[in-house]
Amino acid sequence: MNPIVSREFFGTLRMPRALAALIVLACAFSLLVLARWPSDAIVDLSGGQSRQVFRVFAYGMMVGILLLVPAFPATTLVRERIKGTLELLLNSPLHPFSIYAGKFAGLLLFAILLLLTSVPAAAACYAMGGLDLSRDLGAVYLTLAVLMLECVALGLLVGTVAQSPDAAVRLTYGLVFLIACLTPGPYYLLQGQPGLLTALAYWLRRLSPLPVIMHLVGDGGVGGQGLMESGSGAGEYVLVSLAFTGSVLGLTLFRLNHRLFDRSRSQGKITEEQPLAIRAARRVMFLVDPQRRKPGIPFYLNPVMVKEFRTRRFGRLHWLLRLVAACAALSLLLTLAATTGTMDWGVETIGGMMVMLQVFLIATITPSLAAGLVSSERESGGWDLLRMTTISGFRIATGKLVSVLWTLLLVLLATAPGYAVMMVIKPAMWLQVQLALACLLMTVVYTLSISAAVGSCFAKTAASTVTVYVVLMALFLGPLLVWLGREAPFGPTVVQNALLINPLGAALSVMKMPGFERFELIPGCWWASGGASLAALSVYFFRIWRLTWPL
Amino acid sequence: MSNGDPVVETNDLTKVFGEFTALDRLTISLNRGQILGFIGPNGAGKTTAIKILVGLMRPTSGSARIAGADCVRDARRIKRLVGYMPDRFGSYDNMRVREYLDFFGAVFGIARRERAKRINEVLETTGSTYMQDRFVESLSHGMQQRIGVARTLLHQPEVLILDEPANGLDPDARIEMRELLVRLAASGKTLIVTSHILPELSRICNIVAIITRGKLRVFGPLEQIMRTIRQRRICEVQLVDSSELEQARTTLVEALDETERPTITVIESESLLRFQSSRDDRDLAALLAHLVDRRVAIAQFREVPTDLEDAFLSVTREEKQEAEVVAK
Repeated sequence: MNPIVSREFFGTLRMPRALAALIVLACAFSLLVLARWPSDAIVDLSGGQSRQVFRVFAYGMMVGILLLVPAFPATTLVRERIKGTLELLLNSPLHPFSIYAGKFAGLLLFAILLLLTSVPAAAACYAMGGLDLSRDLGAVYLTLAVLMLECVALGLLVGTVAQSPDAAVRLTYGLVFLIACLTPGPYYLLQGQPGLLTALAYWLRRLSPLPVIMHLVGDGGVGGQGLMESGSGAGEYVLVSLAFTGSVLGLTLFRLNHRLFDRSRSQGKITEEQPLAIRAARRVMFLVDPQRRKPGIPFYLNPVMVKEFRTRRFGRLHWLLRLVAACAALSLLLTLAATTGTMDWGVETIGGMMVMLQVFLIATITPSLAAGLVSSERESGGWDLLRMTTISGFRIATGKLVSVLWTLLLVLLATAPGYAVMMVIKPAMWLQVQLALACLLMTVVYTLSISAAVGSCFAKTAASTVTVYVVLMALFLGPLLVWLGREAPFGPTVVQNALLINPLGAALSVMKMPGFERFELIPGCWWASGGASLAALSVYFFRIWRLTWPL
Repeated sequence: MSNGDPVVETNDLTKVFGEFTALDRLTISLNRGQILGFIGPNGAGKTTAIKILVGLMRPTSGSARIAGADCVRDARRIKRLVGYMPDRFGSYDNMRVREYLDFFGAVFGIARRERAKRINEVLETTGSTYMQDRFVESLSHGMQQRIGVARTLLHQPEVLILDEPANGLDPDARIEMRELLVRLAASGKTLIVTSHILPELSRICNIVAIITRGKLRVFGPLEQIMRTIRQRRICEVQLVDSSELEQARTTLVEALDETERPTITVIESESLLRFQSSRDDRDLAALLAHLVDRRVAIAQFREVPTDLEDAFLSVTREEKQEAEVVAK
């Protein structure tokens, strides 16, 4: 047997977070079935109860896999490279394909183990009646198995590109969520129109398991405009995803060799030392030249904040400007495409989609910026150097927080043009937009404070990033899973209470997004998320205070 | 604080973690311009002592003062008085050397114009001006060590505490680092340097502290320690033929006294006998004559020069023997 399979599998199993993931999934699904297990003598012949559980179960499994599986393959190759063991492996008689296959198989075994934790709950669900073994349960498991393959392949590919475990985690989660949540987007805008673009969008959305799962549980599709589809699309999804996984696998194998180490050190080119022609050209080409010598940090700026911006891969001003421009263009395009498209979605739906996109952006960017605020410093050894300086713990904490807050506010402001277009179309929405923006602001504060607090409890950045992603996704997607069961099994009161901890729900209810319009979440949600943010900020400041003190 | 007062002073400094005593009543003192070589095996308590001195750790008991400031009560003053270079560089990604130094200058509250001037000075002192635009993470280990020293000098501290500054450096970089440290001491800075490369340390330090299992075993000027160690000289007898080793050993056992006999070691591959002795040159000459009388063919009879490494080994060996006796 390939020795890497057992090392990878058992190595992953030995991680405390792996055990935690297994336990959490098993408990969550058991509780779900228990909640709807028939307790009286009346038999539900229609299978309604079973389908209600199946619905939440299928979405829960998909979210569970999206949250838990990518973290493990993302870090395995980067860690090996940093520790130097990848060099040893590549220098051994093992062929790169064997190394890759071993890692892939080991990680897949663990992912299968995660999937197996849901089998007892699935069996119970089946025993409740109303479900077909192959058409319902079989199709869901097949879809999820393919999703696992996709996640593992993507994680391993990112491992050959990223330079640090936390960067690998961020990139993998970003790609996985992009594929799962955003690839169906273009098709929902173009559906019903003839042409190659629509056909491409149709196949692009087949990369995502979301439409398949939605179809299997009887939800149609996101943004479906009454256009019926003959099947669930599971077959097409399997085909497209396997082809995608195969190409990702090929690309990873192409990269998994000595070239991983064949990188020259940056020579630190500086514009001031370039010939006059190059200097002039760069002046024209760059609004902010990244290779120009920076002046010293002025006294009125918090040096920790400036340091945070400078040390971030995309934190320099030229990158921030690009990010803001991209966000502004995206929001305008979305608004224009939706309003000039063939479908009449209504401004409310467009607003809801924009809100969801923004929350997606915030929930994806924030952990990548805030989770490692303290842990990356501790990991690199910079924390002891900071402790040896005269700067106070409070300034360190605020400098770090503000550096993330500015970035998020810029992203938020960049999407303002989209809302402006909406208000031009329907001026009566002014108050709604104001409230939605307030909710988004609250989302920024909420995600930032929770990410910073959770991240400050870890000494390793990769672990803190994964945990923050899981916590935030649980806080944002958990209530939405409950919302999916708003008629049954949960009912409106439970949904109302669950949505209180999710500012996204409040924003969607303000925008009167279909399905959210009957919930009154403001100001309750603001109080709840404000209270949670305050508590999280207290934890963050306490942790920094504690860490700056002599041991 | 007057000029004659010690710059670094610890008094019965103790640190206990649960039942483990990491540092046991450490008492040392150091004057301005001196370089202290802080030596000890891994886990001896060097880093614990250093962390207490720089205010990153609190002692369980005892006191430590730097330039009159208490390391526990005056933590803020200590940070201004001490420049600390840990064994880990503490680099930041995507930062150029100049920006890196500028950041640390800013957190020390040095005004922008003054900061720029000081950055130029420390880059020149450490011979690093040519790498000011390079990215910190792309520097070699030797370059990073030099930037580490530059960073510690930025706020003009009185005392520099350097944890393993020569670790991982190539011979050229080691010589450069040695010269740099000597220059800094000559400019009036007081240095505490830990290192495992003892020959390097012996060339720069004038005070030595050897610590094992948290206890200070030896402390004092290097020459004084060498004199103490030299009281027991290490001698080597190299034979022409290794077949005579047993005969030579028997002859040595007859000639040496009870304290010297257990120190005899036989290195067959080199046809060598080594022993320790406290005899003077005349007595050693008599011993050589005795060996020659017994017709042992001797190629060389020499005294092994004693260095800091021998001093360290001698101390750690004694400590091990003591520990074995206690265990029995």
